[in-house]
Amino acid sequence: MAHRRWQIELGAIAAEFVKTMRIWFSYPIIMVYWAVFPLLWVLPYVFQGRALVGSASSEAFRQLTGSGNYLAFVLIGAMISTFVFSALWGVGNSLREETYWGTMEYIIASPTHPLVILIGKTLAEWAWSTVMVIFQAAIIALFFGVQFTLAKILPVLLLVVLLMIGFYGFAIAFAGFTLLIKEVHGWVHTLEWVFFLFSPIRYPVQVNPITAALSTLIPLTWALVAIRGIILLNKTEINLFQTVLVLALMDIVLLTAGYFLFIYLERKTRRDGTIGMH
Amino acid sequence: MNQRRNFLTRLRHYGSAVWAENIKEWKLELTYKADFARGLIDPVVYLLPYLLYGVALVGGRNSENLKRLVGTSDIITFITLGYVFIGFLNMALWAMGFSLRKEQFYGTLESVFAAPVPRWVFTMGMALHSILHQLLMIGVQLIFILAIFSLKLNPIGIIPTLLVIALMLIALYGIGMFMASFTLIFKQGWLVSEALASILMVLTPIAYPLAVLPVFMQKLALFVPTTYGILTARHFLTGEQIDFTLTEALFRLGLLSLLWVAFGLAVFALIERQTRRAGTLSHY
Repeated sequence: MAHRRWQIELGAIAAEFVKTMRIWFSYPIIMVYWAVFPLLWVLPYVFQGRALVGSASSEAFRQLTGSGNYLAFVLIGAMISTFVFSALWGVGNSLREETYWGTMEYIIASPTHPLVILIGKTLAEWAWSTVMVIFQAAIIALFFGVQFTLAKILPVLLLVVLLMIGFYGFAIAFAGFTLLIKEVHGWVHTLEWVFFLFSPIRYPVQVNPITAALSTLIPLTWALVAIRGIILLNKTEINLFQTVLVLALMDIVLLTAGYFLFIYLERKTRRDGTIGMH
Repeated sequence: MNQRRNFLTRLRHYGSAVWAENIKEWKLELTYKADFARGLIDPVVYLLPYLLYGVALVGGRNSENLKRLVGTSDIITFITLGYVFIGFLNMALWAMGFSLRKEQFYGTLESVFAAPVPRWVFTMGMALHSILHQLLMIGVQLIFILAIFSLKLNPIGIIPTLLVIALMLIALYGIGMFMASFTLIFKQGWLVSEALASILMVLTPIAYPLAVLPVFMQKLALFVPTTYGILTARHFLTGEQIDFTLTEALFRLGLLSLLWVAFGLAVFALIERQTRRAGTLSHY
């Protein structure tokens, strides 16, 4: 019986995966957009660097990060943050999109738990963002001269997987939040900017004691510092161990909290009868 | 005489429609109170990474290289003023450009299009709401920045700056109309808004002077109204050196306003007619 239930749920996850992919392929230009534009967002930082420093390297930046190459710094930040933001939009905002499409009530009324549907969406999002990041890495390697050797890629992949496991936990909790407060488009934007402010996506957070302290609570900070260490500073595996441990612990906390928060919020909105409201 | 009275009556009706649209948008916005409160913090959270990045690059508040390029070394005032203007650009691209898609989500697009007012009246109502909204955001942004950093501004420069902003808003209305029309074809209008916003963010000299852009980008930047808005405002408020006089800036902005509004209205009318004829107005 349990085996049969697992089979059905896996079937639902696969169906959701295919459905999400089909919707994306209905708008092919979106693929081009996500592959190219995160890199374009970095250009103002490059020009800002040129205007303020006058060269491609900054001594003040080197003192903070170990590398004066601010261009590589922001490019790596843009690449890794693509995973995070696609999870935030694709998973966190996904149930709200179902409300817009008028299909939310069907999901809730179906015998499949919404969490199963969210797992399908999460897997689709993961596949999608991986393709986008590979494309971005190719552009960065070709046009900006950042080296990605196999010895560097493997530990970076491990860090990205660890980062995203926890982050998907967070995104699932956020999806539950959308059931409760409905209009979350703006909240996703704010969260995006909170990540920009409190994790070293675009600038070294050590420049300010408040951002430096708060950034340690965000898994993205740990992952980005380690990834930049590997790619830009050729740091050894010994330094990696501490980051892996911290990320694994954060994963456990975020996944558990994400699961229980989603279950609680979904039950609450069902009980309040507000699930179909806009 | 009768014609004139008719014209004035019609203008009054249009004015009422613009105001009604503005009020409707405020009502919708204030329905989601938590979201509204969040929106007040947004501009601050948006600005800080750019300021901190600048501080990380130069190791302090003053940049010798910036002084060499524009005659002012204070990066905080320079960047803050630049980003205040980007709010207006986002307003045109997002609030106006996305307005029709929002109506589609609400299921009211067909009703809006069946109403006996021209489309530009509807989008002007959206624009009015967006401008008021943006002024509120800028107020909060400036209060916060003034509380943390001291901005070195010349108060006499406020009057010509306001004049430039007024002209810039007209041109941005044209861009907003242009964006709104894209929603009718592509449906997923956010993509067009996002793409154009990303390109304009690079072209507009928000946190850097035009001189650091490649030559082709410098030329393209001259077609963007916010370029003149930012450069002229910073010139009057902080003494940034610019390559044109106030008269030239006003003339170019006036011309851009005319061109963008005419272009935006024409493209909108064309696309709307085509969408109606093809029967795809209500498509998703």
